[in-house]
Amino acid sequence: MGLRDEATDGEIVRAVLAGDVERYATLVCRYRDRYARYATRMLGSRDAAEDAVQDALVRAFDHLADCREPDKFAGWLFLILRNRCFAERRRRMRVERPLELADEAFAASDRPDGELEQAERSRALTAALQHLTAEQREVFVLKHVEGLAYDEIARLTSATVASLKMRMHRAYDRLRELLQEHG
Amino acid sequence: MTALRSALLAAVSATIPLVLAGQGDVTARLDGRVPAEVMRAVHDIAAATAARGLPVEPLIDKAIEGGAKRVPADRVIAAVRALANRLDEARRALHDGGIETPGADVVEGGAYALSAGLGPRQTSELVRISRPPYDPATSLRVAATLAALGVPPKQTLDLMESMIAAGRSPSDLLDLPSAVQTSVAQGATPTQAANGLARGVVHAPGQAPDFVPPGQAKPHPHKP
Amino acid sequence: MSAQYHPLVKRLLDGELSLAELPAELRPEGEAALRLIRSVDRAPVTLPAALDARVMATVRRHAASPVRRAWRRLTAPRDVELRLRVRPWTVWAGALAAAAVVVLLVNRAAAPSSPPRGPGTQARVGSHDSVYVRFVLFAPGARRVAVAGTFNQWDQNAALLEPAGTNGLWTTTLAVPVGQHQYAFIVDSDRWVPDPRAPAVDDGFGRRNSVVAVVAQGARTL
Repeated sequence: MGLRDEATDGEIVRAVLAGDVERYATLVCRYRDRYARYATRMLGSRDAAEDAVQDALVRAFDHLADCREPDKFAGWLFLILRNRCFAERRRRMRVERPLELADEAFAASDRPDGELEQAERSRALTAALQHLTAEQREVFVLKHVEGLAYDEIARLTSATVASLKMRMHRAYDRLRELLQEHG
Repeated sequence: MTALRSALLAAVSATIPLVLAGQGDVTARLDGRVPAEVMRAVHDIAAATAARGLPVEPLIDKAIEGGAKRVPADRVIAAVRALANRLDEARRALHDGGIETPGADVVEGGAYALSAGLGPRQTSELVRISRPPYDPATSLRVAATLAALGVPPKQTLDLMESMIAAGRSPSDLLDLPSAVQTSVAQGATPTQAANGLARGVVHAPGQAPDFVPPGQAKPHPHKP
Repeated sequence: MSAQYHPLVKRLLDGELSLAELPAELRPEGEAALRLIRSVDRAPVTLPAALDARVMATVRRHAASPVRRAWRRLTAPRDVELRLRVRPWTVWAGALAAAAVVVLLVNRAAAPSSPPRGPGTQARVGSHDSVYVRFVLFAPGARRVAVAGTFNQWDQNAALLEPAGTNGLWTTTLAVPVGQHQYAFIVDSDRWVPDPRAPAVDDGFGRRNSVVAVVAQGARTL
């Protein structure tokens, strides 16, 4: 470990491009979990998220020379992962595989009643997210899971705030429709 | 009127040597590269094309290409004829876009755009919006390159319109194809890449937008 | 019960309004909606640390590939006078299909057949500006590779590529006049191969040509 961990993303990217491939491990470690929650919510399972994050990190290495602003590696990697998640969604729709449910298990029998209800609601909501369109799911995840503001999401996705709000409001209605039993 | 007649005569006399020279060029350049029947047919097509004020160089190139690829004579002739028609179509689109007498450069750019999949209306529109400091020939080449990279014609035009409407510099337009390719390298489809660039026109193409990626600690979004 | 939330409740969920700012008749709906949205799982997700090792194993394999090393050597910037643009390519997907990248070396026009000799070389401007373009093709097993296009009259004997080592990469550098050009590679004298990652158009003969547009501004390709 040591001083090398203090290096900025840009310094590490430049070192890797200069031939110090092992430095890439620092970026892998830094970003392995950072976008894991986003990928899990987008794809509906941690296994799928693991595959997507792994693929994105490898692809980022393969195309590192295309990262024109090494200091913005974080954002560049996120775009690669985002595209990977959307591509996976399109692939699933083509093969008509049923969407996977979130694989985070709730040990319901161990919880007091209040928490049980909360846990069930949470699980139901997580499952219902997979029935939104990919665009609706993304804006919901970015705002309500990752805590970004609409203008931040707009910069990230290159969408307008107005269109993001429209997607979100449709998502709210769709989730309500799906979860009406849970009240 | 005298000045006008002189100007017209000068224009006509300037054209004739080009036409005559073009015919000699066709024969000289095709000799030994294509069968005689191809040479005769291309000679005639080129003469007619030149007489309409259109460039013949692309026709000669296409015939030479066909010879090099050992394509049967009738298919070479058909391809050259189709290209001549494409040049005509390009000139009409340029005229509709406001260029009365387009030069060879912009006609070839128009033909390239049409070959890459842009429609005549889209080509006309692109020319129409490419007023100074934008150069129509360059706009057409950029748009054609985007289309040839797989960006659908509508998204191509939308992206070009966004860039020009936002007053981006002409050199920024030249960056668009590589920006699309960078996005594709990140896993986007050409359509997604173009849509993203069009929406994010505030950023220079190819640069990472100035956003904060998720995964950082954020305060709860709801008011108490 | 309507499946659609009241617009004010949606604004509540967006964080633009507080519960107290809702009309009284909407507060129950607002509370229920907040309860639902707040139940979303925000727990961090941790992926197995073994993922790091898998990524690095793949990265090391890619980095050690002799083809990749040669690729980097061929495309690395060499001179302050040279600006490089590398196109993305997909040969690493494992396909043995020929793949090509056009790499741009920027140098104001020099004598057409002589590549730049080093920094500070003053270029001679010919009748047209030219830009040096390096063509690289991955064609393992090929015996002969050429590039032909509108810049050399489609003559497949005019521009032969040279092997760049024994890794299957072939390369050559040509002065390409400003303008738009179509081209293709010819492998073993009879197989015409376009660049799968370059812009491509129908050649009118049932095949595809790659396209490169060389522009004078900044001496570059599109």
